[in-house]
Amino acid sequence: MIRRTVVMGLALGAAAIAGALLDQGIARLSRAQEPSHQPVQAPAAAGSVQDLAARFVAHPEHLRPGLMALKGVVLRNPHEGDAGAIATGAKLFVAYNCADCHGADGSGAMGPSLADGRWHFGGEPGEVFESIYQGRPEGMPAWGSLISPDQIWLLVSYVRSLEKNKNPTTENFTGLTVERTGH
Amino acid sequence: MRQKRDFVRLAFAAVAMTALAACSRSDRGAVRDSAASTVAGTSIAAPHIGPPGEWRSPAGDYSSSRYSTLDQITAANAKNLHAAWTFSTGVLRGHEGQPLVVDNTMYLVTPYPNVSYALDLTREGQPLKWKVRPENSQVAVGIACCDVVNRGAAYDAGKIFYNLLDGHTVAVDVATGKLLWRTTMGDVTKGETMTMAPLVAHGKVIVGSSGGEMGVRGWIAALDEATGKEIWRAYNVGPDADIKVGRRFKPFYGASDTSKNQGATSWPSGTWMQGGATVWGWLSYDPTLNLVYHGTSNPGPWNGRQRPGDNKWSAAIIARDLDTGEMVWAFQPTPHDVWDYDAVNENILVDLPIAGRTRKALVHFDRNGFAYTMDRGTGEVILAKAYVPMNWSTGVDLKTGRPRIATGKATDQGTKVTNICPSLEGGKNQQPAAFSPLTGLFYVPTNNLCMDFEARDVSYVAGTPYIGGSAPEVAGPGGYRGEFMAWDATTGRKVWGIKEPYPVWGGALVTKGDVVFYGTLDGWFKAADARTGTVLWKFKVGSGVVGNPITYLGPDGKQYVAIYSGIGGDMGLLIAGDVAANLPYDVRERGSTLPDLARWTSWGGMLFVFGL
Repeated sequence: MIRRTVVMGLALGAAAIAGALLDQGIARLSRAQEPSHQPVQAPAAAGSVQDLAARFVAHPEHLRPGLMALKGVVLRNPHEGDAGAIATGAKLFVAYNCADCHGADGSGAMGPSLADGRWHFGGEPGEVFESIYQGRPEGMPAWGSLISPDQIWLLVSYVRSLEKNKNPTTENFTGLTVERTGH
Repeated sequence: MRQKRDFVRLAFAAVAMTALAACSRSDRGAVRDSAASTVAGTSIAAPHIGPPGEWRSPAGDYSSSRYSTLDQITAANAKNLHAAWTFSTGVLRGHEGQPLVVDNTMYLVTPYPNVSYALDLTREGQPLKWKVRPENSQVAVGIACCDVVNRGAAYDAGKIFYNLLDGHTVAVDVATGKLLWRTTMGDVTKGETMTMAPLVAHGKVIVGSSGGEMGVRGWIAALDEATGKEIWRAYNVGPDADIKVGRRFKPFYGASDTSKNQGATSWPSGTWMQGGATVWGWLSYDPTLNLVYHGTSNPGPWNGRQRPGDNKWSAAIIARDLDTGEMVWAFQPTPHDVWDYDAVNENILVDLPIAGRTRKALVHFDRNGFAYTMDRGTGEVILAKAYVPMNWSTGVDLKTGRPRIATGKATDQGTKVTNICPSLEGGKNQQPAAFSPLTGLFYVPTNNLCMDFEARDVSYVAGTPYIGGSAPEVAGPGGYRGEFMAWDATTGRKVWGIKEPYPVWGGALVTKGDVVFYGTLDGWFKAADARTGTVLWKFKVGSGVVGNPITYLGPDGKQYVAIYSGIGGDMGLLIAGDVAANLPYDVRERGSTLPDLARWTSWGGMLFVFGL
């Protein structure tokens, strides 16, 4: 539905480059929303392509896979700093089969490593929450329909605890041992 | 000592090849057939498909022999091999499988996104005739258990057929590159992917599913090669009607049990619905018996406590009628598998002289570490011998076909069972073996790994792994992690072996020139003397090899050997750890099983072609 609106808007004569960006932004938005099985919300000012363009094109940082960042909204983990949450999250990590995709210690298997201090879709608590809740394109399921937000936050606590001091930049093979250094 | 003997051989090779070959033959006590140069009573069940200079199916023939009658490259001149040309597939990750060569054109299929290329061999620089980039859901990337591999295409009647990771089978017109049909076979959102190479016979394209680690229900199906319409589909677990068990079904073992629906009753209520038994390995076909042979994967989940029973027909070798899909016989090398010993490895169809008579044999190197020499008409196990270091079983009872499980080596929920050999990667995995009727020997790429296995309770969530266990691996006895060996399936013994530092995850090719080819994870492509195992030549290719060599005649009439380099698959993605360098957000620790592999190789995706 959103896509059709955009095409109509383009037909009305919006600049080609803005249109391309717009199309890309919306395509990504709708794809990211697909796995969540939630109804796609039409933008408030659907009739005006300029309004749409302002919403998407003026914020290139929003043109990214997954959810659009919500401007001015920072999702906070209610369990931030709670060691008990990390321990509970570790159990959930196994119970929801996360471990079988991302590795028992989160170091990567079928899915990418969560322990390397590197993040494809952002490593802030709210960003990790979004990745779990909403899913990601290459096979990460949208868990929002199965796991409660509170349990997702517990998983966020655990996943973010894995990255400490594990950001390898250099591997040196010439010594007796394989050496890895950060940054 | 082997080196020295090799040197002497090479010196005399030009004049004495035939005589030396005869000597080698008598060395191993086989009787030489004077009419042909094959070992008496030995033949491949079905001939090479197409002209000898082409390679039209994954294994070259329906018998899965990976044998070629080309003989320009010999044990005497293999040392002169050199790289003729190369081609980058543009794709990283595991390049399992092999190219095809038909009518002076080479066809390649890449790992996901499963691009196919046609290269014109008649022109300098091998320009593309076409490339096909089919739609292929990126969801599949995270659903495939063990890298996004593809094991190749099959050619017939002006088309190539191959599978897409996201659960489709496609046909491409080789003249134009036009995508003729694209049939949805599986549901990737439920964990079904497709990685295997089709087999095409009598107008039917036979394909099967992957996803044994995802709680799927495995199947094999036949499609009409002209239209892509499904002709039959047989599940491997579930009620008789679904698995196509009927009047013709006659297993060699347990035939007296005629109870219905054993594919369901050998599981706790309904658990067969997530029971795995996928068909992700190689297919064989006997045109005389009109039987297709396939293996099935591990049962799901790995944790056996959640599925007491034999779990038929997971971890099984199955013979089905090509035209109907009917199950004619089935055999479980590992009933109630609790080690992840899939039975999907190739079934090589050869006639062999055993105990004074010629047997229509099927030879299968199972993940469980036993090499089975079977009667392909009946499913009888003629002999079963360990071909790699193993300790989980003390042997196979030939009266029942069942393995005797060693004390304390059955895995169980809540227990960490240590030092089980072979590991879940098996004595051999997808890397296909080859057979030469000239030597009567099988050439087998193997692993030597052991594991600690800890099973745990697991919940089924569609589209996520359904595993229930972890199994860290270490090198097996002797410290080496792989061996390329020659195996005599008439006696069940190893004739020679080349120890390798890493599991030999690439397949084998053997030729009439008595040369056997294989590649290694650390990126060596090697030619060895098929009779002695002497390494004659090696070349360091761009990335570790997990693919299978083929050979063909170029338009210049010269013999070439082609191999993919491109580490990946289970070994390259899951086990090696840090051989990837293409994703800044996925920087992995080195794997404990192959901690030093990243020193020798990185991901890549290249075709290498060698000639004299």
